[in-house]
Amino acid sequence: MTVTFPQRPLPWLLLLPQLLVTAIFFLWPAGQAVKQAFYQEDAFGLSSEFVGLENFSHLLHDPLYYASIGTTLFFSFAVAFVGIALALLLAVMADRVMRGQIIYKTLLIWPYAVAPALAGVLWWVMFDPSTGPIAVWLKSMGINWNHFLNGNQAMTLVVIAATWKQISYNFLFFLAGLQAIPRSLIEAAAIDGASPFKRFWTVVFPLLSPTTFFLLVVNLVYAFFDTFGIIDATTSGGPGQSTKILVYKVYDDGFIGLDLGSSSAQSVILMMIVGVMTVIQFRYIERKVQY
Amino acid sequence: MAEVILNQVGKTYPNGYQAIPAIDLHIADGEFIVLVGPSGCGKSTLLRMVAGLESISSGELLINNQRMNEKEPAERDIAMVFQNYALYPHMTVFDNMAYGLRNRGASKDEIQRKVSDSARLLGLTDLLERKPKQLSGGQRQRVAMGRAMVRHPQAFLFDEPLSNLDAKLRVQMRVEIRQLQRQLGTTTLYVTHDQVEAMTLADRLVVLNKGHAEQIGSPLELYERPATTFVAEFIGSPSMNLLPVSITDQGLQLTEQVSLQADTKERGAVIWGIRPEHLQPCSESEADFALQVKAVEALGAESLIYGHTAGRSELLVVRAPGPFTPAIDQMLYLRAPQQQWHLFDINTQQRI
Repeated sequence: MTVTFPQRPLPWLLLLPQLLVTAIFFLWPAGQAVKQAFYQEDAFGLSSEFVGLENFSHLLHDPLYYASIGTTLFFSFAVAFVGIALALLLAVMADRVMRGQIIYKTLLIWPYAVAPALAGVLWWVMFDPSTGPIAVWLKSMGINWNHFLNGNQAMTLVVIAATWKQISYNFLFFLAGLQAIPRSLIEAAAIDGASPFKRFWTVVFPLLSPTTFFLLVVNLVYAFFDTFGIIDATTSGGPGQSTKILVYKVYDDGFIGLDLGSSSAQSVILMMIVGVMTVIQFRYIERKVQY
Repeated sequence: MAEVILNQVGKTYPNGYQAIPAIDLHIADGEFIVLVGPSGCGKSTLLRMVAGLESISSGELLINNQRMNEKEPAERDIAMVFQNYALYPHMTVFDNMAYGLRNRGASKDEIQRKVSDSARLLGLTDLLERKPKQLSGGQRQRVAMGRAMVRHPQAFLFDEPLSNLDAKLRVQMRVEIRQLQRQLGTTTLYVTHDQVEAMTLADRLVVLNKGHAEQIGSPLELYERPATTFVAEFIGSPSMNLLPVSITDQGLQLTEQVSLQADTKERGAVIWGIRPEHLQPCSESEADFALQVKAVEALGAESLIYGHTAGRSELLVVRAPGPFTPAIDQMLYLRAPQQQWHLFDINTQQRI
């Protein structure tokens, strides 16, 4: 359906606030970043010089950048996988609860309302090597927990913190997906002699596959781009480079290292990744995953 | 193939609601039993208890002389056809039909043979590679039947399987279901709220009302000798005419002016019932009473005439064969032969 307005200016006027917000807060900074990516600035920000693709070529020859890509991929898939698996488990269990389901749902949805930085601080406190209750308990179990020194432990911590926050979101989608599966399908499978485990893997899980794929993309995007706050509050990318994911490196190189050119070039690459993921999300979710 | 026996089977939900107090039903091997009743009468609950999808609160269920109360649905060796068909949407027709066999560890050859046998019987051979989404309503219904019969279970359970089909297809599938059941000789329990479906399919009917079996018997038994006013009203379309009247020494007092001769020892208030086709239009001199015509439905093969008799508010229905269209407000003279009467107790609603 198309709506036609009698006057020309009115539709533009109505669109103006949104267009302004988009222009000022999205297009202009993005444009600046693209521009910066081709310039080299001195550390004090006094002068800048056009260097062409040099920022990019530096990046692509920098082993630290590749290490960061590896870290990001590991981190993102770990968050997506753990988050989806746990959320599915919780959703299946909540779906079975008859009484008090609303209480379970509410409790499970709460973490989503917590700001990323707070989620980070929460887990940072829990895992603080000298005072954190979990760290202390781990020590009593013979595991020497210190994520300030141990890169793998630091990665585990950020994965836990980032996953914890995303589980609520995944849980909601899975629960809705489960409740959309007609009860009679499960009953038919039960009569057909499938054990509860088999029913889940041959009937329920395939029927959830559109939800699962959607969540996979959303979770990857989340882990790639939305976890800055959590990383900053827990490990600040350390120890060493062990939890320095791409978004964190953009910030670290730009605002700590004051290499604005490289930082901008990294932003441009991230923008391209976002673009690709958005295309995948829109193009394949609707069409590819069907039964 | 087996006998299915329900001994005092009852259902009480955890919240205390008693859906079914206690039902006795003995289904012979190969018999086609239809559970019929209005919505909320407990017919689906009863079926689901037999299937094992609802627990049995009291009483005992026997299939093939084995107690089934505690058995899982899969262990009861029954097959069920659901109202919405419940086909697995991500599997092909073949896989839908093979699923139960695979779960029971049948060999590849056996699955192939059984599925293609059933598919041939149902005319599904060309559709085996399709997904349920690509099938019409009638085809889906057939796949659901195929999935049920491919395992050769002890009993078929049908839960309103035709209610999602259009009227024409429903009649066609009804005939097919009956033929298949005869051919396979499988004991069948079938739930419906449609009394025509019930009458045409059943060897025996169970009319359920609020969890009670009002009457169990063959369709014609129920039609000719309904045990209660509920059965009298439920079986037959249009429903039996039921009027509270009183019987005195002068006969059956239809109104203050009109009494019909009654050769019965019964006296006092009763409910008088007569089927629409047993009210026969006749000349004024032969008539037992007259009806003032209020509406006429001419259906070609028969005509339904609705009207009041003077001094009563109830609408009576007359079914006359062929096209017959008396004018509105005209008086229609009727005979009500005594051998076609049904008398019911006014308090217990039971047949007298």
